[in-house]
Amino acid sequence: MFQLDLKSRTSIYEQIVDNIKELILADVLPAESKLPSVRELSKVLTVNPNTIQKAYRELEYQGFVYTVAGLGTFVSAAAEKEVDAKRVSEVTEELRRGIRELKFLGMTQERISVLLNELLGERGDLR
Amino acid sequence: MIKVQNVDKSFDGFRALQSLDLNVRKGSIYGLVGTNGAGKTTLIKHVTGILKQDGGSITIEDASVYENLEIKRRTGYIPDDLYFFASYNLKESARFYRSIYPGWNEERYAQMAKRFELSEKRKLSKFSKGMQKQAAFILTMSSMPDYLILDEPIDGLDPIIRKLVWKYVVEDVAEREMTVLVSSHNLREMEGICDSIGILSKGKMMIERDLDELKSDIHKIQVAFREQSQNPYEGLKVLHKESRGTVDLLIVRNRKEIVEEVIAKNHPVIFDLLPLSLEEIFIYELGGGDSEIEGIIF
Repeated sequence: MFQLDLKSRTSIYEQIVDNIKELILADVLPAESKLPSVRELSKVLTVNPNTIQKAYRELEYQGFVYTVAGLGTFVSAAAEKEVDAKRVSEVTEELRRGIRELKFLGMTQERISVLLNELLGERGDLR
Repeated sequence: MIKVQNVDKSFDGFRALQSLDLNVRKGSIYGLVGTNGAGKTTLIKHVTGILKQDGGSITIEDASVYENLEIKRRTGYIPDDLYFFASYNLKESARFYRSIYPGWNEERYAQMAKRFELSEKRKLSKFSKGMQKQAAFILTMSSMPDYLILDEPIDGLDPIIRKLVWKYVVEDVAEREMTVLVSSHNLREMEGICDSIGILSKGKMMIERDLDELKSDIHKIQVAFREQSQNPYEGLKVLHKESRGTVDLLIVRNRKEIVEEVIAKNHPVIFDLLPLSLEEIFIYELGGGDSEIEGIIF
């Protein structure tokens, strides 16, 4: 399903959350599809089941998945995902930093703007 | 649930364990780390009921461990210094384990012996150190313990076997909610497998916490300001500060959001924030005052 980087400073729990989010956004895991059970995923990745449980809880908290007792964890329909204002401001900060870096590299305002539009175009799921 | 409360132990006047507490939740993988001679093995020998504490209590599922057959039947323990009967091979040892442990699973044993590719006929005493560790692991895991206690389980094992060992451990935690207490110096590997961590130093428990919480609470930052204000770090718990030219390196015990908020107020030109690895936390917590060690972390 996905690979974890054990050498990364990002914790395994965050890596799992990010990876699954990416799979959901890219529609590899479509709405209403079932996520692997904690047990399955823990065996496949050789990761502590408690860590996976925690990652699933976080995904549920962020509105990407929901759990039905006894049945498992499922991907939420897109409309239910709430925009997390805090995360938005964090990611905006990352973008701001990236744009500053591009300016350092000598790119003009227009070229950066073209580049950003190109990047947006790459995401088929946003069209 | 393994609970150690206020345990003391002295050997000939040397205080090996001092009012020590340890809590391992059911179904958790708990990593016990500490410097050499910190008391890890002594503590493990108490939890397995081999040594008797001078004071305090050690319980598993609320029952005292010492001389408790019921608990010991359901506990698997692999010590650092392995012991096998001199003339036994793997098959004969398996027969012995089967007679001792009611949970013995013959199918699991056969499958593991094959998977690890160990000879069942050769005497265990003729095995290499790493192969003996594997043999002990096969025997212990085949007894299907509810509590698995491992003292330095992975040193001497090659990376492929290590991966296989963890696979079995994780599987049993996921399938049967086995509880694991493991000591090791390999902090990177502990970081990948444990959910809770206890850091032991000189017979005392220094820190006992959920690993992710521990990590989200301490950060390394690198920062530079265009104009140095009076005290740009006001409101942060700075554990360590070092300046290299105009760039400051700090270790702060604060959550990420707070660090970002405080630093952003002074408009930094450079600002990097990194979580600390378990190795860095360990070195920092236990070797903090030592400048030589600090030289290694930065």
